[in-house]
Amino acid sequence: MQTRLRSEKLFDWFNMLVMLLICFATLYPVWYVLINSLNEGTDAMRGGIYWFPRAFSLENYTTVFKNDGLMTAFSVTVAKTVVGTLIHVFFTAMVAYAISQKELVGRKLYLIVGTITMFFSGGLIPQYLLFRDLQLLDTFWVYILPAMFSFFDLIIFMTFFREIPYGLEEAAKIDGANDFSIFVRVIIPVSMPVVATISLFHGVYQWNDYFAGVIYVNNPDLQPIQTFLYRIVALSGSNQIVSTVTGVTKTVTSQSVKLATMVVATLPIVFVYPFLQKYFVKGFMIGSMKE
Amino acid sequence: MVIMRKFITAVTLISLLLTAAGCASNGKNSGSETPKPSAEQTAVNPDEPGWKGNTEPITFDWYLNYSWFQKKWGSDPTSQYITKKTGVNLNLMVPAGNESEKINTMIASGKMPDFITLDANDDAVKRLIEGKMVLPLNELADQYDPYFYKVIDPSKASWFAEPDGSFYGYPNNSSSPRDYEANETMFTSTQTFMVRKDMYEALGKPDMRTPEGFLNALKLAKEKFPEVDGQPLIPLGLHEFTDTGNYALENYLQNFLAIPQEVDGKLNDRTTNPEYINWLKTFRKLNSEGLLSKDVFIDKRPQMEEKIAQGRYFAMLFQWKDMSSQQNIVYQKDPSRIYMSIDGPSNAKLEDPTLSGPEISGWGLTLISKNVKDKKRAIEFLTYMISEEGQKDFALGEKGVTYDTIDGKDQLYQKVIDETEFDYGTQYAYFMLTDYSMWLKWAPPTKEQYTILEDWTRGKTHNFSAFSNLNPQGTTEEGIISQKIRQQWGKALPKMILSKSDEDFDVIFNDFLQDREKLGFDKVVAYQQKKFEENSAKLTK
Amino acid sequence: MDSQVTIPEKHGNEATRVNKAALFYKKLQRQKILQIMALSGMVWLIIFHYIPIYGIIIAFKEYNIVQSISSAPWAGLYHFKEFFQDDSLGYVIKNTFGMSLLKLVIGFPIPILFALLLNELRSVRFKKAVQTISYLPHFLSWVILGGILTTWLADVGIINKVLLALGFIHEPISYLAEPSYFWTIVVSSDIWKELGWSAIIYLAAITGVSPELYEAATIDGAGRFQKMYYITLPMIKGTITILFILAVSGILNSNFDQIFVLKNQLNEVASNVIDTYVYQIGISQGRYSYATAVGLVKSVIAFILLLTANSITKRLNNTSLF
Repeated sequence: MQTRLRSEKLFDWFNMLVMLLICFATLYPVWYVLINSLNEGTDAMRGGIYWFPRAFSLENYTTVFKNDGLMTAFSVTVAKTVVGTLIHVFFTAMVAYAISQKELVGRKLYLIVGTITMFFSGGLIPQYLLFRDLQLLDTFWVYILPAMFSFFDLIIFMTFFREIPYGLEEAAKIDGANDFSIFVRVIIPVSMPVVATISLFHGVYQWNDYFAGVIYVNNPDLQPIQTFLYRIVALSGSNQIVSTVTGVTKTVTSQSVKLATMVVATLPIVFVYPFLQKYFVKGFMIGSMKE
Repeated sequence: MVIMRKFITAVTLISLLLTAAGCASNGKNSGSETPKPSAEQTAVNPDEPGWKGNTEPITFDWYLNYSWFQKKWGSDPTSQYITKKTGVNLNLMVPAGNESEKINTMIASGKMPDFITLDANDDAVKRLIEGKMVLPLNELADQYDPYFYKVIDPSKASWFAEPDGSFYGYPNNSSSPRDYEANETMFTSTQTFMVRKDMYEALGKPDMRTPEGFLNALKLAKEKFPEVDGQPLIPLGLHEFTDTGNYALENYLQNFLAIPQEVDGKLNDRTTNPEYINWLKTFRKLNSEGLLSKDVFIDKRPQMEEKIAQGRYFAMLFQWKDMSSQQNIVYQKDPSRIYMSIDGPSNAKLEDPTLSGPEISGWGLTLISKNVKDKKRAIEFLTYMISEEGQKDFALGEKGVTYDTIDGKDQLYQKVIDETEFDYGTQYAYFMLTDYSMWLKWAPPTKEQYTILEDWTRGKTHNFSAFSNLNPQGTTEEGIISQKIRQQWGKALPKMILSKSDEDFDVIFNDFLQDREKLGFDKVVAYQQKKFEENSAKLTK
Repeated sequence: MDSQVTIPEKHGNEATRVNKAALFYKKLQRQKILQIMALSGMVWLIIFHYIPIYGIIIAFKEYNIVQSISSAPWAGLYHFKEFFQDDSLGYVIKNTFGMSLLKLVIGFPIPILFALLLNELRSVRFKKAVQTISYLPHFLSWVILGGILTTWLADVGIINKVLLALGFIHEPISYLAEPSYFWTIVVSSDIWKELGWSAIIYLAAITGVSPELYEAATIDGAGRFQKMYYITLPMIKGTITILFILAVSGILNSNFDQIFVLKNQLNEVASNVIDTYVYQIGISQGRYSYATAVGLVKSVIAFILLLTANSITKRLNNTSLF
């Protein structure tokens, strides 16, 4: 017993060390982006900024916020992330619950129909024509409806639903509840870890997706922040921003504007995770499952 | 800490809900503008600009196939002035991502906005015309606004004409033979060979025109200035290596060597020219003597821009307009460290280079969609933009607001030129139909840090219009072959330069030539020759 | 509504058939609501996936966006032949498989290990902090991160400086110029960026393990490692298996953005993968038919891989997608 305790202690220290190393390795690139975005762009071009900004400046950020469309783009993104995630998670979980029932007639067929969609798609143009015919182009719903279901997420939901003890549903059935209300009242509450996971996955997807805004939306007031970011980061958009403002006093460069834009566009979603974390605490699920 | 977090949660949640509600309600209000019928009753008079007859408010959707363009019409005094004057308001739209993906899906869907501006040599131009999605400008002019013919340069129109004689688009930044005659020495090129001024002068301004001189100068620079601010000096910078080669080492270098583009009406295969090969071998030698940094092969534009701003290169074969903002950064900090243009690689006879200047094919082409709201107003507005009056409005803005007549010359106020915080919308911020040779009349003097790069190209700049757009289009047979050859070249070129000896170089180069034949190079040549002859015929018209 | 009663008794096969049909009908009746829930998903799939799926036929046509898909001329297997006859196909396939396999062999287990170790941390606050920090790099776009990596990996970059100072190397190496380093760079930077993010799903699975199991094991005298090995791991086996099957089927996919920013003409032979190849040949030139044909080849292989992996895991540990 004594040796075991000591080896466990040793393990704890070792584990702690590994985790600290991982923290450093994963935090550093983020830190690097942050300090470089807070440094004068022209000065940063000389390189060699590793720990703290050398010539601190908020000019990169003021340049980013000078864009008229930024705030509108922000609200579009927030709206599509919230609405999109709620609908996606509920709908996908609902279908997943139904299909996870072993006695469901046609279950195998549904699974095959769904699996195929993970691999084969018609490509961009037929999709565009479909959205045109459904009158989705240039509407808010083009962000929501085509993304409200995903077979990949359905599989993950199913994997978790399988682990739920059957007793829970049984009890509800005896009380006379139908399948839908069992799903809403019994299954969802005990599945919060997976619901939180998929919410996070889809929320991040919605937040990060720039493609729908690029292809299906022309109205600049309906474009999300990531489309804006994509334009600056991946294309030469930042050169334009910089060239229109480059003057005697300006210190921004296309690279520094890119970094600042990226920080602005990703910071909000990064803060979502800590809020969801409570669903990852051990025992959350079990509490409600005790009979 | 806990209270703080709770507070943030609450604020986030409330703002989420508010914005969600706000967005849901304004989600579906685009494209609801109903087209207004045009005032057809006004008589069509060829001597009267049509746009003056009707200045009722109208809004056109204008799609620009440039994702970097960010301006909003009406956000500055110039566009406000133009809207007030003509009644035309513009809703400018740009792709938010990959341009060709966007325009191709729009074409596939069959509906285009009122006006479209895109690169004149974009494959999509052909698709728009073939798919009958745009209207012939000559028909629109005949029917609604014959004054159009009074403002256009006929050689530009015929350059873009289809075999049946009708033309669908009008270019910007296009320079016709007429423009060249009028502005012989005004035209400049962006193709330059640059060196860092302070270093070059410290080395005693060596002659870099011959392979030996070039190599020695780089060697000297490396010996004398091994480091720049603690980092190794990169003796020579080039454009980036891509999967199809390196721009600085192809036409660009061939122009410096003044290798003729055509001989007796036949296109010249400049790639096999001995002078060119000799210079490529010089680059090979540079590499084997450690004068070409690995970075030159790896770096993409952002890394290169960073190094230019750091002054890490001693010399560069690089378009000066692509590094002007970096030049400005260096200039602000230390004017002695800027780059200057000098005579670079030359042929054995030390002839002047033949740099490529503005061409008739221009840059962007503007077309009018078949779905246009109001054909008459559209062609009238186009006429206005092309006319000298329109050009002046777009260049200088409103008199008394952004420019005035100073010393008998119409010029921008100094504050408009200097001011960078506020955007006046002048100087062709709306570049869709910029006429470059007209702009020269009003352009403010170029700044010192740019003239040191630009002036060197005067008198060496040539009109290569006949050789523009010679490359076959993507999805045709020749286009596919040509692309494959270019990719083969993209693999061969770095291998040639990295090879250990001139013999190895020859082996790789000959392999490439054989591959080129096998892939069907003759078909590409035949296509280019035909295209070249068509171009020449159009130019002599 | 017991339909069974109303059916008259019959003899032989017919009776059982009718009986079966009736049973089936009854079953369907009983799961009416469940069926509606499942079918709503199927309706969505039909609208958003199966209607536009006809676009695949352009792989067999010479499609040009000006015409409609149906009026484009047929090209048979031309695009497939062109793909399979390309000289560079050899190393393109090798790179695609090579990097994906490395990502699978190394990149797949590491997040699991990370999740297990994270779960063993005693301090809840520290655990939460590690969790949050480790998932941050996921949000850096490859376009930016790639640019940063290029600077770090250059011969005067920080990585060379560190390795030189530590004495691991004796002269600086331009890592991105050497094909031999490329796979390592891609695989390790991918793990580095996605480690915390990929672990989230396992953490969620671990959350579902009943604390009573651990309590019982403690009473039986099990140590930390034993609990990890005999309780946690088996309890999340289902999740691991499913994700493994999906990862195997994704073996032909590469991280396009990542490879695209790190690739250059010097490391071409080690860096060109199917996705970048298709981009060069197909997409940048608007050759939709060609790009679709290659995409179709990839899909078919991925689908076969999925079915194979599924049936293997089904036999091995009785877990499968279906």
